[in-house]
Amino acid sequence: MITANYGADRGPQAGEMALLLKNRRQRSFRLYSICGMSVALVVIAILVLTIGSVNIPLGTVWKVLLSHLPLVSINEDWPATTGMIITGIRLPRILMAGICGAALGVAGATYQGLFRNPLADPYLIGVAQGAALGASVGFLLPWTFLGSFFIPLLAFLGALVAVSVVYLVARAGKTLPVTTLILAGVAIGALLMSITSYITLISDDQIHGIVTWLVGRFSMSNWEQVALAAPYIAVGIVVILIFARPLNVMQLDEEQAQQLGINVERTKLILLAASTLITAAAVCFVGTIGFVGIIIPHAVRLIWGPDHRILLPLSALAGALLLILADTASRTIMPPTEVPVGIITAFLGAPFFLVLLRRRKKAVF
Amino acid sequence: MKKLALVFALVIVILPMLAGCQTAPTEGNVTDDLGRSVQIQGIPQRIISLAPSNTEIVYALGLEDRLIGVTTYCNYPAAAQEKPAVSEYSNVDIEKIVALQPDLVLADSIHKIDVIPALERMNIPVIALVSPTLEKLISNIALVGQICGQDEAAKSLNQSLQDRIETVAGQTRSMPDDEKQRVFFVTWHDPLWTVGSGTMINDLIEKAGGLNIAADLEGNQTMDLETVIQRNPQVIFVLSSMGDQDTSYNYILNEPRFQATEALKNSLVFRMDPDIFGRTAPRIVDGLEEMAQDIHPEVITTGAR
Repeated sequence: MITANYGADRGPQAGEMALLLKNRRQRSFRLYSICGMSVALVVIAILVLTIGSVNIPLGTVWKVLLSHLPLVSINEDWPATTGMIITGIRLPRILMAGICGAALGVAGATYQGLFRNPLADPYLIGVAQGAALGASVGFLLPWTFLGSFFIPLLAFLGALVAVSVVYLVARAGKTLPVTTLILAGVAIGALLMSITSYITLISDDQIHGIVTWLVGRFSMSNWEQVALAAPYIAVGIVVILIFARPLNVMQLDEEQAQQLGINVERTKLILLAASTLITAAAVCFVGTIGFVGIIIPHAVRLIWGPDHRILLPLSALAGALLLILADTASRTIMPPTEVPVGIITAFLGAPFFLVLLRRRKKAVF
Repeated sequence: MKKLALVFALVIVILPMLAGCQTAPTEGNVTDDLGRSVQIQGIPQRIISLAPSNTEIVYALGLEDRLIGVTTYCNYPAAAQEKPAVSEYSNVDIEKIVALQPDLVLADSIHKIDVIPALERMNIPVIALVSPTLEKLISNIALVGQICGQDEAAKSLNQSLQDRIETVAGQTRSMPDDEKQRVFFVTWHDPLWTVGSGTMINDLIEKAGGLNIAADLEGNQTMDLETVIQRNPQVIFVLSSMGDQDTSYNYILNEPRFQATEALKNSLVFRMDPDIFGRTAPRIVDGLEEMAQDIHPEVITTGAR
């Protein structure tokens, strides 16, 4: 929110005082919200670590976790597989869900702000379609010697190439008209998606693999994936957070923002690049999980307002929380099989979002 | 143009059939595996197969001279590749089928929604063969033999198949459960897709003296990694992808979290040929024998192959 709250009928001094107080109150509210959400996230992440398709007693989960802390020595009275299930399967999976949720939440909020469009989500200008095409090509190519990172690598490259093409097509001279960007993104996205659909159709016995990739899953998430995705996502989110203020100003009007001393085109480019990068880093490992990137920023905006300085960090935290919860549901509601996480995000996200919309009953964007 | 050709083809095909309908049907009705009642007129002379498994059955019954259309995936026996292809498995060229004027189409369950009704509208008799167990395969071979007037060939083929199945099953049937081995059958690795009960693969595992760790699931399903680790398979079978891709096999071999399973510790991870294990055709009995020897090397499969 760009406050234009100068008391018109008060003296300038009183107005400044009021603004100062308001700012201070807002800042502490921001701080409390972010801290509260972070604590909630950590607590829930630890809680869901204790549930899964294999029943492990709560006490054992705690002992396994504590035994990994430095300076703690606990007698290993649990089977080796139990330890591995907790630290080798559940923990990396929960972390992966968390960082991917954060990436999608922040990227969604950034795109919505950047395009000043409530329908924008991280997949608006081709990231998902490019990644999906890259991955499905990876399913068809016989180069298995490249190992299990082959498909993520192709998906990552596909995402970056797709967005670059959209960007180059949409650029007009030195400026980047947002509407052209969206239209180019939609057109190229549709083209790429149709190729992916065709590959899926002719893939025959690979179809299970491709379809589960497209809906998204954390089933085989491991520490290597976490270690590869986390740096990109962390750096990208930090860069985006630095640009929270310019993004606020750009909500007015690009021309006005320019007059207020913001290099609009450069800001646009940096924010686009950063959110594309974090989305690609998430999607290439876990697939194109839907709903998080569009619902989380809106939900946060409905509760905390449109100021990007709070919207962006809280979208990261809320996105992480939603995906961790969704993945927990995915692996526990029909054990020992899994319900695809993308379907859960829709089931959890959509009703929650609708309730918020009904409660507010006023224009939010 | 296409429409015109279709109408033309329709006229060509339907007119003689309408004429045929006027004479009283001499053959009885057959109920296929999708529960459809199909009327077969006379002994089919022009057969089209819409699945590699059906093609293999047709060849095994010595009906190859009557086979006039196959799919692009029909690669066994090699001679089948010489036949005109009318289908890429699920993607079927109806026009081409109609133009070939078949009097019997052997379909699969995947053709239930679009292909079979389309062919029915053209009055082409379609029989869908779905075999979720070895017993069902035997009865389907008998059915095709009976429809096509090859009863004797079907009987002798089935006799030899049943003998071979019994040779394996006879040795594993009396095994106590603790001698049977826990088996995990992987069809894709990310997420782990496996095969539960109600499937041919499950039937093979049971007859080969294995305990399918996914038997509590039904059909093709994903399985949570932690459950797989917890259930600790002693033997892992990995279905290769077509085109000799071994992505899933290599993944299982190299995935650190699988190293804790007995199957990996004892190097009992086997790559399975999708042309054998993915098709419910006579060669599936080769698959049963292969599986039995992988699970229980001591099991004798004499008379095999």
